[in-house]
Amino acid sequence: MKMKKVIATVLSCAMVFSLAACGSGDSGSTGSTGSAATTATETAETQKADTGDEKQPEEAPAGGVELEVITTFAGNDGNAQNYKKFYQQWEAETGNKVVDMSATSDDTFKVRIVTDFETGSEPDVLFFFNGADANSFIEAGKVVSIEDIRAEYPDYASNMSDGRIPASLVDNKAYAVPVNGIWEAMFVNMEVLDAAGVAKPGADYTWEQFEADCQKIKDAGYTPIAAALGDIPHYWWEFAIFNHTTPENHLTIPESASDEIGQGWVAAMEDIKALYEAGYFPDNTLSAKDDETFAMFVDGKAAFLIDGSWKVNGIVSACQSDPDDASTLDAEKLSKFDVTYVPAKDSRKTTDLLGGLTMGYYITKKAWDDPAKRQAAVDFVSFMTSDDVVPVFAQHAASALKNAPEVDESVFNELQIKSLEMMAGCTSITGVVQDLFQGESRVPTFDGMPEIVTGKVSAVDAVQEGLDIYYSTN
Amino acid sequence: MGANIYKNKKPLFLFLLPAFIFMTVFLYYPFFKNILDSFMQIKQLGRSGEILNEPWYSNYAKLLTDANVRTALKNTVIMTIVTIVGQVGIALVLALMVDNIRHGAKVFRTMFFFPIVVSATALGLLFNLIFLYDTGMLNQLLSALGRKELIDWKSEKWALFTMMLPVMWQYVGFYFVIIVTGLNNISEELYEAAAIDGATKLKRIWYLTLPLLHNVLCTCVVLAVTGALKVFDLPWTMFPKGMPLKSTFLTGTYMYYQTMIVKDVDYGSALAVMIVILGVVLSRVVNAIFKEKDY
Repeated sequence: MKMKKVIATVLSCAMVFSLAACGSGDSGSTGSTGSAATTATETAETQKADTGDEKQPEEAPAGGVELEVITTFAGNDGNAQNYKKFYQQWEAETGNKVVDMSATSDDTFKVRIVTDFETGSEPDVLFFFNGADANSFIEAGKVVSIEDIRAEYPDYASNMSDGRIPASLVDNKAYAVPVNGIWEAMFVNMEVLDAAGVAKPGADYTWEQFEADCQKIKDAGYTPIAAALGDIPHYWWEFAIFNHTTPENHLTIPESASDEIGQGWVAAMEDIKALYEAGYFPDNTLSAKDDETFAMFVDGKAAFLIDGSWKVNGIVSACQSDPDDASTLDAEKLSKFDVTYVPAKDSRKTTDLLGGLTMGYYITKKAWDDPAKRQAAVDFVSFMTSDDVVPVFAQHAASALKNAPEVDESVFNELQIKSLEMMAGCTSITGVVQDLFQGESRVPTFDGMPEIVTGKVSAVDAVQEGLDIYYSTN
Repeated sequence: MGANIYKNKKPLFLFLLPAFIFMTVFLYYPFFKNILDSFMQIKQLGRSGEILNEPWYSNYAKLLTDANVRTALKNTVIMTIVTIVGQVGIALVLALMVDNIRHGAKVFRTMFFFPIVVSATALGLLFNLIFLYDTGMLNQLLSALGRKELIDWKSEKWALFTMMLPVMWQYVGFYFVIIVTGLNNISEELYEAAAIDGATKLKRIWYLTLPLLHNVLCTCVVLAVTGALKVFDLPWTMFPKGMPLKSTFLTGTYMYYQTMIVKDVDYGSALAVMIVILGVVLSRVVNAIFKEKDY
C-alpha cells in the first residue's frame, strides 16, 4: 500500500516536471536565454547611454546576429526567389542569420502582423504596407522613423529620393524604405481582340470607344471583361472612381455622397452597373471567384482584365507548362497578351495610372533598442534597398531610387517588355483611395457591388452608407 | 487493504489539473472575454475593447435588424433539416441495404466512410471544380449530353443546393457506420422468429429493425443537428462572403465574415454569442424530442 502511494506520488511529480520541462524547453531553448542575455545587455547599454558613454553603432559586434524578418516575398510572389537569394547573400557577407518568417500577403497576414505587434512578438525587420494598415503599430510607436534612424546612420536610405518615400498617415513621417512599386492597368488578350476585329486600346482610349469595343467583342461570342464582381470588384471600383476624379483629388474621401467627389463615386458605381446591365461581365460574375475569371482571360474567352503589376507574373506562369519552371514558357502563347491603359472618362487622362510604392522595410523599435540587432537591422535594410538589389525586385515597376540604373531588357520576357513600354507612356501614378477607405467602410460598395449592379441597393445609398461608417469610425 | 489506495483521490486532481488549466486558458477565458467584447468597441483584430459601445447593447440590437443574420439563420435551419433527412435518412437506407447483402458489406462500409477522412476544405475545392461554370465537370458532362446553355451552379437559384450537397455527402458514411453497428447488435433470432411468423422483409424492418434502432437513430440525429450548427469550412471554401448576393451565409460563415473580412470584431463576438445560445437551445430541444428509451 505504502509502495503504491509512493509510486503514485513519483508518477505525479514526474508528470508535472515533464510538463514543466516541456514548457521551459519550448521557450527557453534559445529564446528565454537569449532574451535574458539581451535584457542584461540592454540594461547595461541603456545605463551607458544615460551616462553619455554609449558605444558608436558602427562598433556593434559584426556577425552572429539572428534577425527575425517578415516580408510578403513568399508563395507565388514573383520576387520570392529574389528575396531568398539576396538575404542568403547578405548572410554570407555578414555572418548574420535571417530567420525568415515571410508569408503571402492577404488579410490573414495583415491580421497576424497587427497581432504580433499587439502581443510584443513583432519581428526585427518587417516588409509591410505603408498605408492605413500600418497605423496601429505606428501609433503605438513600435517602429522607428527613417528620420530617427538617420540621426545615427546618416546614410540610411540615402539612395532613395525622399519625396517618393510615402509618409505615414499617422504623423506624416516616413518609416518604410520602399523597394518595388506597383501599378494597375488593363491587360488584353489580343487573340480575342483580333477575333472580334478590335484594335489594341491606345493612349487616347475613351470610355465610349471601350463600350463600343465591348459590344463588338460580345457580338463575336466572347466575354468582354474578365472580372468577378462578387469577389474582387476592387480594380473596377478604383478606376471607375478615378475616372470621375483627378490625380490631385483622387485620394480625398468625400464628405457625403452629394458633394462633388461623392457624386463622382456614385457615378462610378453607376458606370459599373451600366457595364453589368449591358452584359459585358462574365455571366457568372456575381458568383465566380477571381481565379475563375482570370482563367477565362488566359484561356482566350475574355478580352480585358484590369489588375496589378504582379499579374504579369501570373500571366507568364499561366503560359508555362510547369508554372514553377520558366524554361517551360510557351512564348507564342505569351505573345498574345498585352498591357495597356484603362479607358478614361471625364477629367482623367487615359495614361494616368494607379499605383505607387505601397510597401517598404520597417525597422521595429524592438530591434532598434537591442544594441546587438540595431546595426544588423540597419545593415540588412540598407542591403535589401541598395541600388543593386532594388532594380531586380522592381523590374517593370517604379522604384524610389535616385539613380535608377538602365534596365537590361534582355532578361525580361515579352510581357514584361510590353509593361515597360506601357509605363514609359504613363503621365502620372496616383495612390489608391481604397487603402484609405478601409475595413467596414468599404463593405457597402465592395461586398455590396452585386447588390448595386443588380439594382437591389442604389449606388447613392451604398456610397453614403460606406461614408457614414467611415466617418463614424475615424 | 489493497483497495484502500483508491480511496485517496488527491493524486487524481493532480492529473486533472493540466487539462483544467488548458481548458480554462484556451476555452473558458476566451469564451467569457468574447461575451464582454460583444459589448465593447474593438477597432482592430488583435486589439482589446477599451470602451463600451453606445448603447452598450448596440451589437445585439443590430442582430435583430441585420438581414444577413436572418439569411444565415434560415440557411442554418435548412442545413439542419438537410443533415437530418439527407445524412441520417440516406445513411439509414444504405445501412439497411448493406445489412441485407451477403457479400461485400465491408467494402461498402469502407467506401461510404471514406469521405469523412478527407478534409472539408479539400472537398470544397474538389466540388468547386465539379460545379465550375466554365470548365466544371458537371457542365462539361451536360454539354456532352447535348445541353447548349451552361448552368451557373453557384447562382442564387442553385447556390444552396450546390453548397449543401457536398456537406450532406461527406457525412453520410459517418452515420452509415453508426447505424450498421446498431444493426449488427440486433439478434438474428428475432428476424428468424418474425420470418417464421410470416413477416415480410418490409414488415420486419418496420416492426423490428426501426424500433430496435431507436436509440442509435436518436444519437445520430443529435449529432447531425449539432454538427449542422458547426458547418463552416466547406461552405466557406465554396461560397466565400456569402456569395452570391449574400444568399449562402450560415451562422458560422457570417460570424467569420464579420470578424475577418469586414473586421467588425465586436459584432463578430455578438454573433458568436448568438451561435452558442442557438446551439445550446437547439441541442436541448433535440435531446428532449429524441429522448433515448430504456428497453
